Amino acid sequence: MAREPIDPVIPIDRDEEFEGELRQAFARRPAPPSLKRRILDARSRRRADRQHRRMALWQRLAACLVAAAALGGGFAWHHAQEERRGEEARQQVMTALRITNRALNEMNARLAERRRDGNE
Amino acid sequence: MTRDVPRDWQPEFERLLDEHQSMVFSLAWRMTGDRGLAEEIAQDVFLELDMHLSHIESPEHALFWLRRVAMSRSADALRRRRVRGVDLWVEIEENHGAPVEERASPLGARLEQLLATLPEPQRAALLLRYQEDLTPEEIARVLDAPLATVKSHLQRGLKLLRSKAQSTLKEFIRGA
Repeated sequence: MAREPIDPVIPIDRDEEFEGELRQAFARRPAPPSLKRRILDARSRRRADRQHRRMALWQRLAACLVAAAALGGGFAWHHAQEERRGEEARQQVMTALRITNRALNEMNARLAERRRDGNE
Repeated sequence: MTRDVPRDWQPEFERLLDEHQSMVFSLAWRMTGDRGLAEEIAQDVFLELDMHLSHIESPEHALFWLRRVAMSRSADALRRRRVRGVDLWVEIEENHGAPVEERASPLGARLEQLLATLPEPQRAALLLRYQEDLTPEEIARVLDAPLATVKSHLQRGLKLLRSKAQSTLKEFIRGA
């Protein structure tokens, strides 16, 4: 009995036909219906997370700024206090020097007077 | 990229997602052979798009970017799986079978299975050629490969796929 010729289910003997079959076979598949929702949910989660992290970063930055300002303010206040105390001490020394100077002048004047009386 | 793009064109994430999710998903699925992994890849690709949305200049740029990143992420996934020694295409129908209405025709499915047996570069080139209908020049740009290499992959891939299809389908017909 003669064997029946094989009936080609797809015409793949010619390049163009084979390429046409491939185009049909490799048509885009529809994405699962849940994919879009999952992507949008993941996007929202990621955005919220990013916003939360950004907020935390700003909070940390603000806390650092406040701490730096407090430290700087404290240091400036301390420096001003030191300067004020130094100025007070300088004023006291100047006063003491003025008093001493006046006392020495008086002493000199008296000694000069005594010397003049002794000479006469 | 010859089409005039309005100067005030702004990429809209949801619109791009609606338009291109099946393209990204199909590329990832056919490259990896794993439906679940393809969904993960598609999700990652679109989340990455969201991060780079400000750099997207036109609808064509978005399409090019998505194809390129989808192919690159699929190749990364294959590499990671190879390192772990998992044969992806063994899993395709067992673990991540598509719902019946999404399945391709028996012949289409057979050609897809044969595509999966090709070396990865040939598979990528053929997929972009016959799923996305790209020219060899466009494929070279998407895959960031020399044009001559892409042409060679296309030629060899097509030849190999055709010979596999001829022998497998004849057996298939005899068995039917």
